[in-house]
Amino acid sequence: MNHRTRYSYYVEERALQGTDRPRRFLQAFAVILEHSNYGLPLEVYTRISAKCNRCASACQLYQSTGEDRDIPCHRSELLLRIYRRYFTRAGVLQARLLRGFTLTDAYLDELAESYYRCTACRRCKLTCPMGIDHGLVTHLARWLLAEIDLIPKALLVSVREQLEGVGNTSAIPVPALRDTCQFLEEELQDLFHVGAKFPVDVEGSEFVFFPAVSDFLLEAETLMGNAAVMHVTGGSWTIGTHNYDGINYGLFYSDRMMERIVRNVAREVRRLKGRKILVGECGHATRSAWFVPTFCGPDAPEVVSCMQYAWKQLQAGKILLKDEKILERVTYHDPCNIARAGRITEEPREILKAICRDFVEMIPNRTRNYCCGGGGGTVSIDEIRAFRTGPMGRRKADQIRQTGAHYLVAPCANCKKQLREVCQDNGLDNVQVVGLHDLLLKVIDFGGQDASGIPAGDAATES
Amino acid sequence: MEHLVAWARGPAFIFSFTFMVLGLLRHLALTFWQFSRAWRKAGDKSLPLKKVALETLRWMFPVNCLREQALFSVTSILFHIAVLVVPVFLAGHIALWARGSGWSWPAVSNGVADVLTIVALFMALALVVQRLAAQATRALSRPQDYALPLIIALPFASGFLVMHPALNPFSFDAMFFLHIMSANLLMILIPTTKLVHAALFPDLQLVSEMGWHWPPDAGSKVGISLGKEGVRL
Repeated sequence: MNHRTRYSYYVEERALQGTDRPRRFLQAFAVILEHSNYGLPLEVYTRISAKCNRCASACQLYQSTGEDRDIPCHRSELLLRIYRRYFTRAGVLQARLLRGFTLTDAYLDELAESYYRCTACRRCKLTCPMGIDHGLVTHLARWLLAEIDLIPKALLVSVREQLEGVGNTSAIPVPALRDTCQFLEEELQDLFHVGAKFPVDVEGSEFVFFPAVSDFLLEAETLMGNAAVMHVTGGSWTIGTHNYDGINYGLFYSDRMMERIVRNVAREVRRLKGRKILVGECGHATRSAWFVPTFCGPDAPEVVSCMQYAWKQLQAGKILLKDEKILERVTYHDPCNIARAGRITEEPREILKAICRDFVEMIPNRTRNYCCGGGGGTVSIDEIRAFRTGPMGRRKADQIRQTGAHYLVAPCANCKKQLREVCQDNGLDNVQVVGLHDLLLKVIDFGGQDASGIPAGDAATES
Repeated sequence: MEHLVAWARGPAFIFSFTFMVLGLLRHLALTFWQFSRAWRKAGDKSLPLKKVALETLRWMFPVNCLREQALFSVTSILFHIAVLVVPVFLAGHIALWARGSGWSWPAVSNGVADVLTIVALFMALALVVQRLAAQATRALSRPQDYALPLIIALPFASGFLVMHPALNPFSFDAMFFLHIMSANLLMILIPTTKLVHAALFPDLQLVSEMGWHWPPDAGSKVGISLGKEGVRL
């Protein structure tokens, strides 16, 4: 049975069964504080929070709703209040003398609702004079809620499938993976007359490839673009049949899950004697992979984004481009997980400038971009679509509209799904949401190949 | 009254000043201790120090920050400049330090100090008014958020009247006593309220960065402690 009446999203039955949730929440809080490093930021944040309200002006949700509960600082205070009351000496003393705040079931429900109204995009962090990372607080709050089973069902089901089921979040079995790879190879041959391969279980490859596994179902052109780039650059790469999913919803609700999923990625690289992790077009998969050194030590395999790889190869002259460029106007959406900290912002732009005639920026962009509205795993929660594309996605829709772009490039599986829904629900019918490699694929010169290989009507090009 | 003034600038000042210094040192020491413990436990010890330093400097000299909430930002920046410069660089204060400890440093002219004092007073008032005027800040604010700018304004207002006896409708000693005691109160409040950011500010960006540097096995240990290790999801 789905329980949606109590929260905006479905949860499993057991989430509502516990009668002592406040006690279990505090027990989990104490244990997490003991073993993690969250004590340091919580302790400092409780002391210095200035309540200046600058974060409100940065938040796309607050810009839309104007509701107090959507102010990032207000949301963080929900958790900081619990920390201050139960885990600081001053708070405990104050409670004994003056009573005051007590954690209740109703308060936990407020937490469960509030922390899934935040996409943890961390835009507000840039505007906080005190450097408070509200995304970090959301991240921790969701883990605490998960330990009392308050997890959106969509996220839990995916992680269950990944860790205890078929082995990936889309439940794609290995034979289906092989069939899909073969189909994509045939498509590349038919459309582009190129013999690019999707190598499977090749030991000793430089790169082991981890796309968002949903790409195998939904983003054929992105994957074909990936394979085409590896083909023309002579890249040594493979897909591993024991783990071919870069998705890590642990990042969105539980460090316990995140640790297991990241270790599984590194384990597959070691099994295949690979040297590096090549992450497909996916923001959170890339950011999760950047945690490999955290969980797997300094000898962990290096992490490379497929966009970093492609740009490096393009610079080195190993990817030859046709004279024709993409004619239609193109804009680029920065996925928060790779752009907010400024780690990947320029490579995709350089590639787009090289292959598009009319590239325009969204304003603001790069580290100050607006979230697609489906970050923090909320894109997987179908039952909150009206929220995601309405109050949460409206700002993004306005940004896209202002560019007048035909192609909206979003190198992230989650962003792509969300942005397609944002466009559908906000009257942006002429915008086509694509991956970076989708466009790159259209203009790669495979060596004497006829440009008629491009699907008719899919991309206008000029000479 | 003279006895009260002597007490305020004697034992009361020494207590408040010592309380402030030791209080801030305690905050710094605790933060440093917690930070080093977190760093030792972290699986990935590489910190983007250059980025953190740039971000810290960006907020120490927050010119870029005027893009958002310009009026509030200007108010806040002017307020901070005034409250930092006047107490430390007033010639009268430096003379007192020189007499007591032998240390002295360059002063701002009394004219500049006067202007900055008036700026501090108006900006303190403006901060409270702006806090009251916006729904979002009203929703966030605690009593200390309204009280602190006004408490900070007290030593400035009384100090201004001490410096300008012709404008002072009260007795000099009473105003002098109020000036010293409000400053003493402020020194008690600095380590016990959000004003502690005066000392912690240079560490804040680093602390947030460290928040993402986790122990490699924190998740597993939490699972074991909660009896969930091996339990199906």
